[in-house]
Amino acid sequence: MAGPRGRWDAVVIGGGHNALVAAAYLARGGLHTLVLERRERLGGAADTSELGPGIRVPTLAHTVGRLRSSIQRDLGLARHGLSLIAPEVRVFAPRADGGAVTLWSDVAATVEGLRAVSSPDAAAYPVFDRRVRVLGRFLDELARSIPPDIASPGLGDALAGLKLGRSFRGLGRDGARAILRILPMAVADLVAESFESDALRAAIAWRGVRYGAVGPWSAGTASVLLMDGAGNDGGAAGETVFARGGPGALSDALVAAARAAGAKIRLNAEVATITSRDGRATGVVLADGEEIQARSVVSGADPKRTLLGLLDPVALGPSLGWRAGNIRTPGVVAKVNLALRALPRFIAAVDDERLLHGRILVAPGIDPMERAFDASKSGRWSETPVLEATIPSIVDPSLVESAQPGTHVMSVVAQYAPYELGASVGSWDDNREAFGDAVIDVLETVAPGISALVSHRQILTPVDLESRFGLTGGHPMHVEAGLDAFYLWRPLLGHGRYRLAIDGLYLCGSGAHPGGGITGGPGQNAAREILHDLGGRRR
Amino acid sequence: MPQRYDAVVIGGGHNGLISAAYLARAGLKTVVLEKRHVLGGAAVTEELFPGFRFSVFSYVVSLLRPEIIRELDLPRHGLDILPLDGTFTPLHEGEGRPAPIGPDGEKIGTGDYLWRVNDHGRTVRELRRWSKVDAEAYEEYGQLMVDMARFIKPILSIVPPDPASNDPRPLLPLAGLARSFQRLTERQQAVFVQLMTMSAADFLGQWFETDPLKATMSASGIIGTYQGVRSPGTAYVLLHHYMGEIDGAFRAWGIPKGGTGGISNAIANAARANGAEIRTEAAVARILTRGGRATGVALESGEEIAADAVLSSVDVRRTFIDLLEPGTVDDDFTAEVNRFKFRGSSGKVNLALDGLPSFTALPGEGEHLRGAISLSPSIDDMERAYDDAKYGHWSRKPYVDIVIPTLVDPSMAPPGKHVMSCFVQYAPYHLAEGLGTWDDNREAFGDAVVDRIAEFAPDIREKILFRNVQTPLDIERTTGLTEGNIFQGELSLEQLFFSRPVPGWARFRTPVRDLWLCGSSTHPGGGIMGANGRIAAIELLKAHGRKVA
Repeated sequence: MAGPRGRWDAVVIGGGHNALVAAAYLARGGLHTLVLERRERLGGAADTSELGPGIRVPTLAHTVGRLRSSIQRDLGLARHGLSLIAPEVRVFAPRADGGAVTLWSDVAATVEGLRAVSSPDAAAYPVFDRRVRVLGRFLDELARSIPPDIASPGLGDALAGLKLGRSFRGLGRDGARAILRILPMAVADLVAESFESDALRAAIAWRGVRYGAVGPWSAGTASVLLMDGAGNDGGAAGETVFARGGPGALSDALVAAARAAGAKIRLNAEVATITSRDGRATGVVLADGEEIQARSVVSGADPKRTLLGLLDPVALGPSLGWRAGNIRTPGVVAKVNLALRALPRFIAAVDDERLLHGRILVAPGIDPMERAFDASKSGRWSETPVLEATIPSIVDPSLVESAQPGTHVMSVVAQYAPYELGASVGSWDDNREAFGDAVIDVLETVAPGISALVSHRQILTPVDLESRFGLTGGHPMHVEAGLDAFYLWRPLLGHGRYRLAIDGLYLCGSGAHPGGGITGGPGQNAAREILHDLGGRRR
Repeated sequence: MPQRYDAVVIGGGHNGLISAAYLARAGLKTVVLEKRHVLGGAAVTEELFPGFRFSVFSYVVSLLRPEIIRELDLPRHGLDILPLDGTFTPLHEGEGRPAPIGPDGEKIGTGDYLWRVNDHGRTVRELRRWSKVDAEAYEEYGQLMVDMARFIKPILSIVPPDPASNDPRPLLPLAGLARSFQRLTERQQAVFVQLMTMSAADFLGQWFETDPLKATMSASGIIGTYQGVRSPGTAYVLLHHYMGEIDGAFRAWGIPKGGTGGISNAIANAARANGAEIRTEAAVARILTRGGRATGVALESGEEIAADAVLSSVDVRRTFIDLLEPGTVDDDFTAEVNRFKFRGSSGKVNLALDGLPSFTALPGEGEHLRGAISLSPSIDDMERAYDDAKYGHWSRKPYVDIVIPTLVDPSMAPPGKHVMSCFVQYAPYHLAEGLGTWDDNREAFGDAVVDRIAEFAPDIREKILFRNVQTPLDIERTTGLTEGNIFQGELSLEQLFFSRPVPGWARFRTPVRDLWLCGSSTHPGGGIMGANGRIAAIELLKAHGRKVA
């Protein structure tokens, strides 16, 4: 129920995972919190949906291993029904020639396998893995820290600065120099410094370009790789953790936790505008005209939509409006979900089904990845897209328990498929199925016969991601994870501290530091700042 | 009894000469050793063809630090920079907009063009032809860039601190910078961050919609780099355009009278006037060390020259891998040096012409030929040129920046004849397997460049009397620039400021005592800027408790 005089302490726009994390923390902090979700279901991009009778698939995101452990603990997600599955295999990168690179959660096992690929690389792998973890630990500190207020620094900012400075020096002289050198690098250059095998380079470099409108040769992709492993057990291989029941199960647990903490949640409640008076947010108005008053408005929507779509242009102002309009949201990711009559056979995994338990990466080399990216630069979708597939039904039969026996689901993240297609290419409605075919064709090269196994397929183009999840430009990270939208200036310099544009308006989604992916980081950090401002109980 | 010097400078490029001039000026007994018969390194003028003199490599100037011109009194020593007015971007027929109509109602040429000149009013009128929005944005953008250039200029003369060091003193200049950052408006601060992180294309896209305008402006972001106009980190170089100071005026570009060799000679004269000795055809074979200390150099002739300090203006890899005995520096430092990326990406085609070419977009001779002529019709076009290079092929349709120096300095060729300087990207030093060596590709590459020019000026072919093609391999062979990188190492984000050339060694000193770096491998990087040579000399003088004078 609302606070005094029907006024909420915090109204949260959107029911994505970050919004739910924020709501849960705010409610725990004693704030009267209301979550408003436009759709009939919660979880945003962390969702599980029905692909066919009794067949359930991860709608967009397919792994949840980057979720902050502190959030799982604080909100008691296990108690609220979250159960995680972590296969031994992190990445299986098969090639058409039957060769493959496999990255295991056990570094020794990975090294063992790499010996067949290249002995220098096998020797270099543990060193690289250790470095990624060391630098990742520092970046995790950075991710947890609230970017300082450079306009008028306070004591808190100074202390935070000192704390960061300490852990920076904790990297040691070489580590400190290394991270400053590595962050702006192209991930292709970073992996080339350690490894000679192109297949291994690609298997690792992928996380530097995943979900981004960049290729492995783009500057700054090394920092994306390092951030991906920050605050989780990723290391060089990257995390591969499934939520039993699909990513939707994580959202369900967050919903339960938020409700248990006292947050109220409304579905089919689309926010039309954020109301404000004298430069201070006063609440929201729903699409049906209902007005809701609140001391603070917390947006889980992307910053571009929040500033340009929901906020009154006058309150926003022309200068900030111009900057918001230039926030880069070039979506290049499409999602292809498949139901398969039987488990596909991969040439490179004939005798070992375990290899299919993790992320299956079809990215034969650095140059093929870069070429796939090249197509997207001029508004064409790649005819040989880079694929990251999972077959969660192997380790989580609950996804297909009421389907035909032998049925499996395959979740495929496909790059590059640009939101904006060139004039000569036409609309995504004209291209959707053709792109789906291209994805299947690529899968055929490593798993011949798979196309014959497909019983259902769902293709979500960037345009679909925008209409379904409200992601501007169809960008799964809300804002392109470039060096131009990092830490202090994510999403915009001067608005990188979760406080956005006007007093009482906050950003708690992937568009805020530390960025996108299923981490809950932005939601947790934002809640901290909101509780600080509104004087709630912090616990 | 061999000669003994206070300082010996390896390499007679502009930075080496500038270092020598400052050291001599402070009273140090200084000698410069240049392996070639001509001074200037990549800033040389040579008569490649009887009667025709070329700025063989570097061909325009805009960044030469004004304090150097002032302190070394270069004009008195012969420096004379002629203004280069405007940038002309011809387009293919049907590209952009229909060809403009002249006063007589006739179509002017075929295809359109974009022609910007230093006369701001004229440029804005020209832009209005394309887009009213862009014409207005151009004013605002120009002002913003000038503000940015003013803010960033001090960085060019800062000695980068070692972020990992616990000694706070070197950080002081940064504090000053932080204060002036505080004084910027939030929008200016945001734009500065964008400049340091965005791609030239994305950055410009925030203001402009006209493709040829964005393409031509973004070109300055990729000069000398192995990056495309859409590569993050290329926006920063746009600023250089606005930092160009000639006679204190922002934004002016120019070419030195007598070619870029004219700059080198003026600096050499200044150095000599201050008492420096300069020897040509004196190639250094080895840097001599004793007990981890540089003691002089040995020439290829076998002659040894002793000195208290050795300054190397050649690039960091030449210095530490080629000129030092293995084992002089530890393996970690050697690994860092080998990790430093060069990857030359530029070529140069020098043409002797029987007469001026005629561009179909604006036929005949005219003012538009007196400035830079930029073959950069669109962003996609620029990016495709880079995509070729990414996979180890020279651009089939390269970006070409053309200057015809004889139009401002007729002394470069016989009467009525012309020289044409064509800077070309991309020409990757490392060619893809199966493509052969640069020796196999030189002429094919030269043909591609001429064909590209002929797309816009078909009569170029019959005007050519002589053609000289400089591939990255040729640039390396002639000037010694590793992998033909014109900046002595990529100007990519990870190789700037305190990471240039080696993290922790960005202060012109090296692990070898009394061995200093003063070339473009150091902060603030390449281009005929001279800052490197000046700061290195000043740091050395400070270290020896000498007055800079």
